[in-house]
Amino acid sequence: MDYYFIIFAIMAVGAGIFTITVKDALPSALGLLTVFIALAALYLHLHAPLIAIFQVSIYAGAILVLVVFVIMLLITPDEELETTQKNVSYRAMGAILGAYLIALLAIGLKGISQLVAQKNLPEGFGHPKAIGMLFFKQYILHFEMASVLLLVALVAAIYLAKKNA
Amino acid sequence: MAGINEYVILSCILFGLGSIGFLTRRNALILFMSVELMLNSINLMLVAFSAQRADMGGQVMVLFIFAVAAAEVAVGLAILISLFKHIKSVDINRFNLLKW
Repeated sequence: MDYYFIIFAIMAVGAGIFTITVKDALPSALGLLTVFIALAALYLHLHAPLIAIFQVSIYAGAILVLVVFVIMLLITPDEELETTQKNVSYRAMGAILGAYLIALLAIGLKGISQLVAQKNLPEGFGHPKAIGMLFFKQYILHFEMASVLLLVALVAAIYLAKKNA
Repeated sequence: MAGINEYVILSCILFGLGSIGFLTRRNALILFMSVELMLNSINLMLVAFSAQRADMGGQVMVLFIFAVAAAEVAVGLAILISLFKHIKSVDINRFNLLKW
């Protein structure tokens, strides 16, 4: 059996269940972070190292930090944060993250190249250079449209959040 | 190497979890996170099929989904902050101003 897939699939599903069942928003965000990290590990397994890096840096690094900031801004007086030490959900989250680190160490020691079985994929499949060539040749129009979309979203987000309506 | 079936099953499970969370929770922030979960399950499916068919178009599609998700979260959270200024809550059952 493929232990790499099983470890991270169980982690993703468990953290996903945690995300949608836990009461408070902040532990839910931590569960979502664990899902993102587990999926990043699976992307490495699927010959997509660039996607894995972007998964960690954009999703776990940018989007989730934005969500956590908004959670910080939107705490209403009747749902103040409790002391975290006695909260069981935080302990469960810590256990899952600890299991992830142990798995990562074990796999790193064994050598990740042995786990990622090579199939008949072309040379340089999923490497940044190949994806960049696709982006700037075949998908150049979509690339520009995505950048315009991000600009519009930036302006809209600033306008909506600052408006004194 | 896990085959494409395992990845499709995992992706479906994650999408189901995301949709269950979206339909059952009332906290607007957790709704957002459920949508993110669904988007991520679709990303996983795209990358899995990209590897299976040796076609990098799937990975490029995932990068576009990243851009759209970032835009969605930025605008959505700004709307949520704007709503929170009116109604001091993130409970979606209290966002009923347009309810007939």
